[in-house]
Amino acid sequence: MSGSDQLSAVFSALADPTRRAILAELADRDATVTELTAPLPISMPAVSRHLKALERAGLISRTRSGKLRMSRIEAAPLREAAEWIERYRRFWDTSLTRLDAHLAAVQAAGRPTDRTAHGPAFPDRESPSKAHDKEN
Amino acid sequence: MDSDKPPIVISRVVDAPRELVYRAFTDPDHLAAWWGPIGNSLPRDEMEFDIRPGGHQRWTEVFPTQPGLRVEVRIDLTDVVDGELLDGVAHVTGHLPEGIEPHETRMRVEFHDEADGRTRLEIRQWLPGRVAGPANQGWDEAFSKLDATLRNAHPVAVDVEV
Repeated sequence: MSGSDQLSAVFSALADPTRRAILAELADRDATVTELTAPLPISMPAVSRHLKALERAGLISRTRSGKLRMSRIEAAPLREAAEWIERYRRFWDTSLTRLDAHLAAVQAAGRPTDRTAHGPAFPDRESPSKAHDKEN
Repeated sequence: MDSDKPPIVISRVVDAPRELVYRAFTDPDHLAAWWGPIGNSLPRDEMEFDIRPGGHQRWTEVFPTQPGLRVEVRIDLTDVVDGELLDGVAHVTGHLPEGIEPHETRMRVEFHDEADGRTRLEIRQWLPGRVAGPANQGWDEAFSKLDATLRNAHPVAVDVEV
């Protein structure tokens, strides 16, 4: 699967709350379908179907240990999804810090309405921003 | 789709009046001054903005120190309220950085008045577009759980920009 398709499969698999609950269980330890069914309000065949979907997405692997079939969480696809989110969070953080500096410069330069008609009369974009994050 | 919970939720107060902040997003000369990582450049002649429902914003990002990169962005605007709201789907294509594939992602930016002439931005982003849908709820819990999961499974070094 290409990275993009893999990510689609991961997001689809994660969109279901039961599957997220199963992953949360598996984050703590490997488990059998019986163990995974116990805390859930659904049947064992239903849990099995969810496990198949998670396996297709590469989010878990299933191995046989004696008579027991254990499910184990696989971190790599989860990490890819989390990195996707993280990349855009960083993107916004950088951009909004630059936006702070830009807005400060535009306002310091005079009435904003006087400035915007004249094109990019904006400050040096390479200079690091002194603007503070006003988020908190 | 509005009831869907997006994976990225950012609330941020900026020290400027709402009209100016809105213009920073909708005027090409403004946007080019702050959008994206430091060191990028948005050639003015490749920017085309048509700000209205059904309109679009197009631009290209180039990176003088990385001539191989050329990020082409087209946002199809679905919902626009002057001074208050921009909602649309961004299509990101071109010669993208290593590890990033062409993608679609819905972005929604709301502009709210705050005290003292400041503005609160409410930014929502859904990714990737092709899997956004009614089942997309609970991202926050999913990803906080995932973060914990990932930390437990493998220590993950996250680059933090300061």
